[in-house]
Amino acid sequence: MEIDWGLFAELFGRTFTFWWVILPAILLGLIVGAIPGFSAANTIIILLPLTLAMEPEIGLIFMVALYASSRMGAGIPAILVNIPGTAGAAATPLDGYPMTKQGRAQQALAISFVSSVFGGLLTTILALLAMPWLSQVAYHLHSVEMIVIMLFGISLIATIAAKDTLKGLIAGFFGLMIGYIGADVVYETPRGTFGFLELYDKVPLIPALVGLFAVSEAFAVIEGESILTKRGMEAMQKAGWAETWEGVRLAVSRWWHIIWTSIIGLVIGVVPGAGAAIASFVAYQQSKTFSKTPEKYGTGHLDGLVAPESANNGVTSGTLIPLLVIGVPGGATAAIMAVVLQYHGVTVGPDLFDSQPELAYGAFTAMAVTYAIMILTVLPLARYMSRITVVSTTYMAPIIISFTLVGAFVPRAYVFDMYLALAFGVIGYVARKTGYHVAAILIGVILGPLLENYFLRALRISQGDVMVIFSSNLGDVMWVMLIVSLFVPMYLDRRRKRQAEQAVPTTTDC
Amino acid sequence: MSDFENDFSRRLFLKGASATAGAGALSMLPIQAAFAAAFPEQNIQIFVPTRAGGGADRNMRAFTSVWKNYLKTNFEAGFYPGAAGRVGYETYMGKAKADCYNLIFGNMGPEVLNWVVKKPTFDLNRFLYIAQVDQDPGIVFVSKKNKKLKNIDDIVKEGKKRTLNVGVSRLAHPASLGVVALGRHTGAKFNLVPLSGGRNTRAGVATGEMDFGALPSGSVVRKQKQFDIVAVFDKENPLPNRMKKAVVVNDHFGMKLPPLYAGARAFGIKREAIEKHPDRYKVLTDTLQKVYTDPAYKKAVKKTKAPWKYIRYGSPADCEKYVKYITDIGAEYKSLLTGKS
Repeated sequence: MEIDWGLFAELFGRTFTFWWVILPAILLGLIVGAIPGFSAANTIIILLPLTLAMEPEIGLIFMVALYASSRMGAGIPAILVNIPGTAGAAATPLDGYPMTKQGRAQQALAISFVSSVFGGLLTTILALLAMPWLSQVAYHLHSVEMIVIMLFGISLIATIAAKDTLKGLIAGFFGLMIGYIGADVVYETPRGTFGFLELYDKVPLIPALVGLFAVSEAFAVIEGESILTKRGMEAMQKAGWAETWEGVRLAVSRWWHIIWTSIIGLVIGVVPGAGAAIASFVAYQQSKTFSKTPEKYGTGHLDGLVAPESANNGVTSGTLIPLLVIGVPGGATAAIMAVVLQYHGVTVGPDLFDSQPELAYGAFTAMAVTYAIMILTVLPLARYMSRITVVSTTYMAPIIISFTLVGAFVPRAYVFDMYLALAFGVIGYVARKTGYHVAAILIGVILGPLLENYFLRALRISQGDVMVIFSSNLGDVMWVMLIVSLFVPMYLDRRRKRQAEQAVPTTTDC
Repeated sequence: MSDFENDFSRRLFLKGASATAGAGALSMLPIQAAFAAAFPEQNIQIFVPTRAGGGADRNMRAFTSVWKNYLKTNFEAGFYPGAAGRVGYETYMGKAKADCYNLIFGNMGPEVLNWVVKKPTFDLNRFLYIAQVDQDPGIVFVSKKNKKLKNIDDIVKEGKKRTLNVGVSRLAHPASLGVVALGRHTGAKFNLVPLSGGRNTRAGVATGEMDFGALPSGSVVRKQKQFDIVAVFDKENPLPNRMKKAVVVNDHFGMKLPPLYAGARAFGIKREAIEKHPDRYKVLTDTLQKVYTDPAYKKAVKKTKAPWKYIRYGSPADCEKYVKYITDIGAEYKSLLTGKS
């Protein structure tokens, strides 16, 4: 695949002329991304009559713009009210929401927008230029390697547990146990479903997500008058446009962090079946591992917000690569986009680069142009969006609960899922009150089934030989990296503490 | 694209958007009930026991896009994936009203086979398939990038040297049974790895994690640049021009396997609905039969890149015969499907 700069330039220019499609798609994407339960995938299905009425190229641009903007939209409620719009934004509130509580919602939103846009833009351009090489990633990351990648994400439980090991681990294992509810992937045998048919296809993510984060948050905030701290409220009342610009400055100053965490997202996105949830947790875990101030993660650390937002937007372009290069969609939205294009008579796959390059490359230029337009349209909104945090909890809590229950219902249209969200809300509330980390439970719920899936597949391939997990050279290298990334921070942390302890008596002596 | 085309498309887009909004608004008005006297008076719900975006979705949408013209109503699809189709069927049987406004669109091959392995909670006699839509044989396919395995003989030869990993959608699947039977007959060792759906199975084979795969042909034949179909479990190669390398397993290996239709999608309904509303049922069956001969349906199928040759009407009696046939095969291979062999 040779790089045709002329074609790229022409495509970029041409895609900008479709601003009238991109703008409404961005608006719609931000809205559906921000509402838990809605997603780009189910919105594209709902809007099928509209996309079918469009020409294939316009339909593709519309879908791509919707997809990219929904990813960014999911981060907005995660930051403002602790409700991740999708599983891909589940790591965003870990540091985004504490910033909001401190009255820095506007800054947090600006950081999220800049990280998302630059992460998305960079990885889209990288995907466009390095497509032949990136597509090779899928040929090397098989079940064994994916097990290690999952463990990178799951190891976050251990780092969360660092403050209170027993409670952290109990929460993590509890989440993993919930994650294993449902039919197994080999013999389709239901386990732990308590006879509920609704749990056969695993515990649905959205009710778990909104229950653990949002409903429990609503229960918790109702105890106070505002979600903001006293100082946070003062800061919010004083906040002006300068806060947005400060957020932009802070994000731009972390340009290197945006680059490498978005590349994590891109690489994980290329693997069919992986996804934004894995990418954002792995990026967060890696960001914390290499941070000089890991102890501040979870309290409103800027890098802890930049990492998941850059990574989950990096996934967006990544999922299109296997679809276009090997004809296998990288994720659900990419699969549905392929179906829509098929209705237009366009078969998505490697042939497309020869038969209709304006569509094959156009998917990426559309994504790049969407990100470029998006930053201009969404950044000025940060100030107004952040005002929601000053709303009294008397109104906020019922609104959160109603919205999230609707969100829990939407993906599968089961009333059961609304009850499930409430049940998870109670679990989350109890966990908060008793010092068990909600995020640790959620990591188990999200990544547990994926880990099991890859593990059972690897076992099936090896016909039951557990040592299969050490059967690949690349996998072995990744195991070493995992162990290093787990134990080096612990060693450094101990060394820091030792040095601090030694420094205290010296000061006293003086 | 010229400015004219661009403007034209913009107008079209706005038209489409207004039409969608308008249609939405109109559907909320109460005039529908006043004018409609006969069946159907409201939209028909279709329960699909698989995920949106898959083969069943494509197939169902193509069919209903034409059927709606005869019924003068719209179809609303609900997707209920999980446990090899069990969630969809159990939900349909448990929650759908027996009023002919609720149908299920399933795949008689793998889903009936799954009932052999695990009996559903509902009485199978309460349910009936009313029209088969397609008949798609199971096939064996390899990635074009696979340098060792280029045809079925390579697969069998290699399978005699080492155990080959075979990507399949589910264990309880007609295509999976074909591979097991082939292994038994030739002495080749095949290890079935269920990958939950056609998309994941194609991914497993394309990325080289699986040595080869077995699926219904329709989900692979559209991807001729990536895959070669090397064998078919049918009486003959139904698409010799599109599956040039495919041998008929029975002919090639001297086997006597019955045709293994891995894709046999069909509409189903509760028997109670037929008993309570025979007039409605008649409207449904009369109109759906017209779809098969409608050129618009052929066009819609071709748009999905599915082979038109596979579209085949099957009456309720044909469906019942097929269900019995696949049940018998399942009973024969039950131990393999449950891992208790």
